[in-house]
Amino acid sequence: MQFEKQVEISASKEKVWNFIWDVDRFIACVPGCKEAKTIEAGKLYSAIMIEKVGPFRVEFPTTIEVLERDELTRIKARASGADNKIGSRMKLSLDVNLREQGEKTVLGFVAGVDILGKLAALGHGIIKRKADQVLDEFAEAVKKRLEGDS
Amino acid sequence: MLRRFRLEEPESVMEVSELLGRFGESAKVYAGGTELLLAMKEGLVQYERLINVKNVKGLNEVAPDNGTIRIGALCTHHQLETSPVVKQKLAALARLEQNVANVRVRQVGTLGGNLCFAEPHADPGILLLALGANLVAERTSSKREISAEAFFVDAYETCLEADEVLTEIRVPVPEGKSGVAYLKFGYLERPSVGVAVALRADGGGKSIQDVKIAVGCAGPAPKRVLEAEELIKNRGVDEAKANLLKAGEVAAHAAQAISDLHGSQEYKEHIVGVLLKRAFQNALSQ
Repeated sequence: MQFEKQVEISASKEKVWNFIWDVDRFIACVPGCKEAKTIEAGKLYSAIMIEKVGPFRVEFPTTIEVLERDELTRIKARASGADNKIGSRMKLSLDVNLREQGEKTVLGFVAGVDILGKLAALGHGIIKRKADQVLDEFAEAVKKRLEGDS
Repeated sequence: MLRRFRLEEPESVMEVSELLGRFGESAKVYAGGTELLLAMKEGLVQYERLINVKNVKGLNEVAPDNGTIRIGALCTHHQLETSPVVKQKLAALARLEQNVANVRVRQVGTLGGNLCFAEPHADPGILLLALGANLVAERTSSKREISAEAFFVDAYETCLEADEVLTEIRVPVPEGKSGVAYLKFGYLERPSVGVAVALRADGGGKSIQDVKIAVGCAGPAPKRVLEAEELIKNRGVDEAKANLLKAGEVAAHAAQAISDLHGSQEYKEHIVGVLLKRAFQNALSQ
């Protein structure tokens, strides 16, 4: 499943960039994400992703690995996790880019999400819709948090 | 494999509500179990307790009551497809129930369970929306009536509070020269698209006085489509027929169709339009 989102933020590129690397504040914008930890600053992080669709609940202990980093411009990362209770795995590839637009910054991201295992029985469409909702909420939360700071 | 759980066997709605309130998300109501047990066996959900409601009396009756049919939440699909009252007063519901899933599911699966599980590809909710049904939810401290439209929130989600129990479905009996049709299409076990139309024509059958249109299966939850209804309601039959194409487009958009194994979004939207046209003609010819 491929998703592309873009959010325009009334903040400088530097401010947005610094925010992304402030793990606690950044993770607080990801719905259902908790217990974020830095394993190796700038390279490796861990967190627990919890998502719910009706009565179905998944909890993915997730490892996030930063693959590429172009200062103030781009971050490429990948994440993966498994919920052994329900026998499902999640894989995420993330390409984040920042672009100046006047006094604003456009934060764009392309996310590839794969859900494998029993959870897939819920149906591709339902999972896709949920992932889309999570990404929308995330983009909105980042915008709100950064613009609230200015 | 089904994991161990504790089975509670209350005998009244109040006891069920009290148990739900006490055990919260670790407990789940168990009626027919056709959806719930499958999900539990697959390990997709786990509950410490199942609250078996089959011993609760009075929840499996069908009775006419002042222009409505009251259907107990524990009525099975089979009971509804064979009920003389349903067949006579709500023929479209009886026909729908004849075609729900398979004979094994119909024998034990309940209407209430079907609605509460809110599986996106379920038939009954769509027709109940078009029929203007209300659902009765009870808890220890209160009782309320919820419109079918408000009941469905999202895929697998209803507006029921944690300790509320669905006890009854109240379906108004269509009045005057009316027709009701539910059509579905699918090539997998569950339908890909379902469309329901309930209309009332004038005495001569020349104009549509009222219509309710609902779509489902294509998206996360059944939806009533007021905007499509406006294109048909209070119009001559010919004008209503001419507006069906537009109504189909509106309904297709409202369905929030999702691309999945049942078909692409565009395909499902097309099918919504086709089924709406056929369901309208079917209802009108009754």
